[in-house]
Amino acid sequence: MDKKEESAGERKLQCSDVSKCFELLESILDGEMGDPGKEVLKEKLAKCQPCFEHYHLEQAIRDLLKTKCSKQAVPGELVDSIRTKISDIK
Amino acid sequence: MSEVQRRKYSQEEKNSIFDGEFMPHIDSMYNFAYRLTFDEDDAKDLVQDTYLKAYRFINSFEQGTNAKAWLFRILKNSFINEYRKKSKQPAKVDYQEVETYYNSDDVDFRGTTDLRAESVKDMIGDEISNALNSLAVDFRTVIILCDLEGFTYEEMAKILDIPIGTVRSRLHRARNLLKEKLKGYAQHMGYNTDEEE
Repeated sequence: MDKKEESAGERKLQCSDVSKCFELLESILDGEMGDPGKEVLKEKLAKCQPCFEHYHLEQAIRDLLKTKCSKQAVPGELVDSIRTKISDIK
Repeated sequence: MSEVQRRKYSQEEKNSIFDGEFMPHIDSMYNFAYRLTFDEDDAKDLVQDTYLKAYRFINSFEQGTNAKAWLFRILKNSFINEYRKKSKQPAKVDYQEVETYYNSDDVDFRGTTDLRAESVKDMIGDEISNALNSLAVDFRTVIILCDLEGFTYEEMAKILDIPIGTVRSRLHRARNLLKEKLKGYAQHMGYNTDEEE
């Protein structure tokens, strides 16, 4: 089964409903479909080339967002300022 | 998320909820605020206002429920009601137009055939941050909530006050827009995005 997933030759080259399929793939990637989603994913990756490519592209973008998106440091005075304001209204 | 006040917390309980459940999210809250406003002072004001409101309405927070989602919802509402109005928004994108355009199958297909996972993997933080920041605020928001903050669709639906189906479709469109931006960077980097080399 795993070997089959790696071979592009056996996948169909056209996806009949790209928009629906990709939206579904994204929901699966977001962990919204649970175990049934994993089965659907396995099937799609094995049988459909556009889905296979979309999956890997989506995965790469998610990794990039998670690991490389620049983060702002919280300004040091912000926490103190919040605490001061809170103690004023207590 | 219920607006009903279930009970009144004692002063001690309030302090404990505020310090134990609200303050640990300040890092995510500030980054969310900064990605909405692109301004350090506005972001600070927005976060401060959110925490003050959270304290003021602490009795409507139910202990044991998701404090982070509750805080994000207050921040998002404050942004829409107060900051979005006063801030000098750069060239406003026609949301409806963008949403309609990117709802076509054609764009889906083009978006994926023209951009390859390999070129995305070589991108750096600036490129992904710039691409994300260039999206219209509604699209930017769903990607921040889902991919950066890890909220579920159900939590996002509550934060944004929209149905889960809308969360799903807006995310899909937001990702298509993001891919278009990344495609631009990939081409700039000299990747051949149209066909495999």
